[in-house]
Amino acid sequence: MENRLAMTLAPPFGFIQTELIDPFERHIGPIFEQGVKGARRFAFIVEDRHVNMRGVIHGGMLMSFADAALGQAAWDVCDHAHCVTLNMQSQFLAPAKVGDLVEVLPELTRRTRSLMFLRGDFTVGGETIFTVASVWKILGQD
Amino acid sequence: MTVAPQSLPAEAENISRGGFNAFAGPFWRLPPDGDIHRFALQVAPKHMNGSGSLHGGVLMTFADIAMSQVSRKVSGAPGCSTVSLTCDFVGPGKLADVIEARVRVTRQTRTLVFLSADIIAGERILAVATGLWKIV
Repeated sequence: MENRLAMTLAPPFGFIQTELIDPFERHIGPIFEQGVKGARRFAFIVEDRHVNMRGVIHGGMLMSFADAALGQAAWDVCDHAHCVTLNMQSQFLAPAKVGDLVEVLPELTRRTRSLMFLRGDFTVGGETIFTVASVWKILGQD
Repeated sequence: MTVAPQSLPAEAENISRGGFNAFAGPFWRLPPDGDIHRFALQVAPKHMNGSGSLHGGVLMTFADIAMSQVSRKVSGAPGCSTVSLTCDFVGPGKLADVIEARVRVTRQTRTLVFLSADIIAGERILAVATGLWKIV
């Protein structure tokens, strides 16, 4: 437990801790970020609580981090309007292990009046381990 | 953690033994309905988003855990790895809902399992997921 606290308290070099609102994101976090609004890179450190019985990152954790990080990027795009995930397509390319730093720089593929298309390649040490394409709805826009 | 809460059927079996499965759960296996494999999750405060709905990450985690369990069961393999998972978020889940994943096997080959899952809360559909698992 002390080990976990030590790992989670210090942001990686060059990152600050992202302010999270959603209880589930606070539960799985912390999440870290660097860069300015609209071009923020997000990251988290894999811990024992994030892995499966084989000792590698759980797919659910990667998809939850993707929803959180791409959600932050979506929030930047629609200037903090309320938006929700409509669809997420995830591909698992390689495992990550405890201690790895998983990073993503979300990309806006297209924005319409009511929809946002966001994607992300998730990397560990420069190698892509996980990739996501997602569709988001901006609420209040038909 | 081995005794199902009263909101779940007494036959419910805890499948969360550790790691992220337990940290995000607990998740439960329910008796099958014909060829449909069934799993349950009781929505707790930690599962919510800031708008008071069930977080999408929980729905995808539940879909992944339920379909992974089924891919191991039908293949008889010690482990199966998720290769891809697609999820449509159809409707919001609410606090204290008992949500159910209903999983079907679409096709099984020597090395792969194709699966789909509907996640429901009573009569309401919350999410539809499909995925592909590699037998390892």
